[in-house]
Amino acid sequence: MSEPKAEKVAVTLNVNGAERTVTVEPRWLLSDVLRQEFGLTGVHIGCEHGVCGACTILVDGEPVRSCLQFAVQAEGARIETVEALGTPEEMDPVQTAFWEKHGLQCGYCTPGMVLTAKALLDRVPNPTEAEIRHALSGNLCRCTGYQFIVEAVERAAELRAEG
Amino acid sequence: MNPLRPLFVGARVSRVEDPRLLRGQGQYVADVNVPGMLAVAFVRSPYAAARIAKIDTRAAAGMPGVVAVWTAADARLQIVHEGQGITQTVLASDHVRFVGEPVVAVIAQDAYLAEDAADLVEIEYDAQEPVLDAHRSQHDEPRQVHHGRSNVVFSRTTGTEGFQEAFASAPRHVSLTFTTKRQAATPIEPRAVAALPDPFGDRLTVYVTHQSPHEVRRQLAQILGWPEQRVHVVVPEVGGGFGIKAMFYPEYAVVAEAARRLGRPVKWVSDRREAFLTDAHARDAEHVVDIAFTDAGRIVAVQDHVYGDTGAWPLWNFPGAVGEAMWASDMLPGPYQIPHVAIEITVVFSNKAPLGPYRGVGGPIGAQVQEGIIEGVARALGRDPVEIRRANLIENDQFPYRSATGQLYDQGSYGASMDAALRLMDLEKFREEQTRLRREGRYLGLGLCVFVEPSAFAESEAGSVPYESVELRMDTTGTVTATCGLGPTGQGHETTLAQIIASQLGIRVEDVTVLHGDTDNAPVGGGTGGSRSGTIGGGAALRASGELKDKIVTLAAHMLEASRDDIVLEGGRAEVTGVPGHGVPIADIARRAYLEVGALPEGMEPGLEVLGRYKPPMAATYSNGTHAAMVEVDVASGLVQVLDYVAVNDCGVVINPTIVEGQIHGGVAQGIGSALLEELHYDDAGQLTTTSLMDYLLPTLVDVPPMRVEHMETPSLSLGGFKGMGEGSLIGAPPAIANAITDALAPFGVLVTDIPVSPDQVLRWVEKARA
Amino acid sequence: MSMTPFRYARPMALRDALADLTEHPEARVLAGGMSLLPLMKMDLAAPERLIDLGRVQELQGITETPDGIRIGAMTRHFELASDEVVGRCAPIVAQAAAHVGDPQVRHRGTIGGSLAHADPAADLPAAMLAADAVIEAASADGSRMIPAADFFVGPLVTELRPGEMLVAVRIPMLQGRRQHYEKVPHPASGYAVVGVAISLAVAGGVVQEARIGVTGVAGHAYRAHAAERALEGEGLNPGVIAKASSLAAEGEEILGDAVYASAEYRRHLLQVTLSRALQRVS
Repeated sequence: MSEPKAEKVAVTLNVNGAERTVTVEPRWLLSDVLRQEFGLTGVHIGCEHGVCGACTILVDGEPVRSCLQFAVQAEGARIETVEALGTPEEMDPVQTAFWEKHGLQCGYCTPGMVLTAKALLDRVPNPTEAEIRHALSGNLCRCTGYQFIVEAVERAAELRAEG
Repeated sequence: MNPLRPLFVGARVSRVEDPRLLRGQGQYVADVNVPGMLAVAFVRSPYAAARIAKIDTRAAAGMPGVVAVWTAADARLQIVHEGQGITQTVLASDHVRFVGEPVVAVIAQDAYLAEDAADLVEIEYDAQEPVLDAHRSQHDEPRQVHHGRSNVVFSRTTGTEGFQEAFASAPRHVSLTFTTKRQAATPIEPRAVAALPDPFGDRLTVYVTHQSPHEVRRQLAQILGWPEQRVHVVVPEVGGGFGIKAMFYPEYAVVAEAARRLGRPVKWVSDRREAFLTDAHARDAEHVVDIAFTDAGRIVAVQDHVYGDTGAWPLWNFPGAVGEAMWASDMLPGPYQIPHVAIEITVVFSNKAPLGPYRGVGGPIGAQVQEGIIEGVARALGRDPVEIRRANLIENDQFPYRSATGQLYDQGSYGASMDAALRLMDLEKFREEQTRLRREGRYLGLGLCVFVEPSAFAESEAGSVPYESVELRMDTTGTVTATCGLGPTGQGHETTLAQIIASQLGIRVEDVTVLHGDTDNAPVGGGTGGSRSGTIGGGAALRASGELKDKIVTLAAHMLEASRDDIVLEGGRAEVTGVPGHGVPIADIARRAYLEVGALPEGMEPGLEVLGRYKPPMAATYSNGTHAAMVEVDVASGLVQVLDYVAVNDCGVVINPTIVEGQIHGGVAQGIGSALLEELHYDDAGQLTTTSLMDYLLPTLVDVPPMRVEHMETPSLSLGGFKGMGEGSLIGAPPAIANAITDALAPFGVLVTDIPVSPDQVLRWVEKARA
Repeated sequence: MSMTPFRYARPMALRDALADLTEHPEARVLAGGMSLLPLMKMDLAAPERLIDLGRVQELQGITETPDGIRIGAMTRHFELASDEVVGRCAPIVAQAAAHVGDPQVRHRGTIGGSLAHADPAADLPAAMLAADAVIEAASADGSRMIPAADFFVGPLVTELRPGEMLVAVRIPMLQGRRQHYEKVPHPASGYAVVGVAISLAVAGGVVQEARIGVTGVAGHAYRAHAAERALEGEGLNPGVIAKASSLAAEGEEILGDAVYASAEYRRHLLQVTLSRALQRVS
């Protein structure tokens, strides 16, 4: 990214379980740094002004928008992106449930949806439909009409309970 | 008869696309990143109409990290709109004609730098009075958008013979004016383009968010003045399109030209504000309608004057608001027997963003008018709109039915779909509940839309060719790679085409890989749009797999020393019917075809590779269905809540019910947005005031209710019996919601004709009725 | 949407943060960033220096005091909405916090940031007014207490002076009061089209003291004094509720927007919303 004009600072980020130090301009958004410096293109940019939720990541386990945060602010925090979910052999139950229930079409809002859903289930293992709808209300989807997303989160709760 | 054995077709197969998308491994254009890649930022017009007095790019060009700063004179590229007799430079020269029109392109080392430098570009404008009102624009007031050219883009009057007499002699008349505000498709992934000069030859690879790879290649080659074979278009994952990504935009030309001229990879990714300013806008029409009908509620004649506003420029090869207006008026009779129509269309230029296709194109507005006519007649006669619908619906024995606007409807289930929707909603029980709650001051309403969805047009906004092509290559192990020219944006074609092919070949769905979006490997196709992929693409997949099957069966018969007629392909094997255990794995047949060619039957060519093309026998096939919405209107706050929703859908033979349901859910959500939330708003100076998702309101999870979907299957005459279904849900939903509000607010004399319906508007109605 | 470059400071102690702000009066203080970042992206703010309060320990935490609670400026909305102490002592604050934005915003946004930003449609200002909260502001010269009723001055304008920052909010004990936050959210932003926070001391069926905070409809959150007076000394019957609700906009200039909610609509909706809030607690 850009060279002149602004000072650059080193920042050590804990991303998906690994610590790495990168040099950034203070104005660089966490979303851009995750995408460009860490290659985590599962962080999607949909609006850049904090509405669509496509850039949602987990910071210390809670869903936040990476486009409304500077990378420098995230030093010391535990960052998880969609790439951290599941293993190469097996997807996370939330991912599996979205697959089973057709909770995605174009896939663009999907990483944010999946992470927000995971954070909900970590806190509320067996949410009601209303709780699911409110918990995901900060994530826009233009394809699915949300119905199968809600069903996917319900299914994910079942899968997690089954262990 | 359905030529497919119901092996996979009709099955709820989980999508093969999903694992990569769920893992965040889907690669979208914004994810294309190579060393040395430059970024583009555009300086855009802040004026709706102005003369460009002066452009000073020196400060921007002098900034470290800036590689080039281009004006129209530097870019030297233009789009000739032959039909309209105007020429558009890809960067505005002399004049700007809408807010957001690109004027200067800054090409720099990265996007942050390009945007910093764009801030340093100084442009002086002489502002002019903008053209913003369609009615004034048709008289060239206040001025011509394109100097020397009338603002009227298109004007046409058509009608059935005997209209005047039929209209005049009818006993009853009512007049209504319907409007739909300007709206935006708003896929969550913004548009993007990345162009990479090919290091191994004089070619250009262009990654672009597009629904029609071959069409965009043709357009790029034309505008760059290059032979088509030197332009390689790759459409990777696309994060929703809904029509707007079937269009060509000036940014694509600038980025491709920059890559070519600078010899560097170049990328541009739209931000959300640019998306609202420059992605094709949609709808924005007014229909002034006069209806003649009988005392029994039979509609005799309808006169419609359509006003459309196409914005400042046409979109390349797309008729803009003309398409919207023509399609809407063509579909105006919908599922009803309306013997006479007279239609006048007036489409004008304005100083707004270009108007283009959005899911349904004229369909949603056409359905809104068609269903509004029913509501208007019912209201005038004091009868239930359901009865009026029943009195006018086309009967099953009337198919094929030629509508008064010339559409030839194939077999459908119009009345049956309405009956099913009413059964699911339990109309009788609802009416009782409605009456009871009204006494408590609560206003519930039930609204219907019986829709007809034209699909699989031989030509559509994406379908520049009337066919699709699928190439199948079975490899030496018996698995299949299919390539096609479709441009899916989330519809799941990799799965549905694989289902069709696997069903034919008796192999597993996972044994078929469907590739799309790459003009270097795909046979020419029209792309995705106009609900054509399932029907025409599916037909091509059927045809190709039928031919491949033919060859496999011939070879199997030879290997098994049996008659061709006795061979069935099933479970990955070719078996001889009636002789259990006498068969051969398809993998062995494939091996024979490629590697043991000495053992092939006399005269058989080696290999298992076929190309199938398909063009449907009819100009279009018409899906149908009925949507029913139940709403509650809070007359104190004006807020409308959708409580329940039913969609009965008939798209012929269903390939994958789950995918069809997903499409319906999504269209209904967009319909809720269209009816209640979404409006692109231009102020009196021609400034678009809704340029963020804070202002342009998309439905969220709390706006969209749970939906119930029921399928009906009336096959089309197309191969496989498929009908398109990508748009019907957005055609059916807005009128269903609008009519539900009409029903809820009947005690206040409200008949909804304008969408979106704001809470503010609801309160004004209620207050007016109470005053 | 690129922002102008800026310098970034991340003090670990309040003293250092205040010294930095004194030395750089042009700097902006960064809390959760939920309001400031959108402003910077839209070029409506271009600070040359940001002082990130994320690590300042003194600004964290919720504590019970003899006469109520003290909430550190960097307390996130999510914590505010789910904290046991807040839920017990000042439910109106918890309730309003649960209404802020969406889950992602609540996990990141802070009470201090929201109040100091003073968006005219934010939820917490209404709750602060209804709660008779006191804003604790500090500068290098010391600290002072600002009653919430005096704090909100205009759109994005507060009583905070240059060099001063919001460090905590003090809420008196509200246990036993009838409280409710009623809101019509904007469909996209989640901000209040109208938000009404009420806190009533009721004894023997009669309202002894009423506090009504209103947000979303005017240039800043305000207390609906006329409506409060209409309630005090009365029982919460339909006539009194109607009278008080009709006075909710008294003395205020109601603002609208061209697209979603006109001034006229907001004025009407305010009345409806106050009426509904009062019915909830009657």
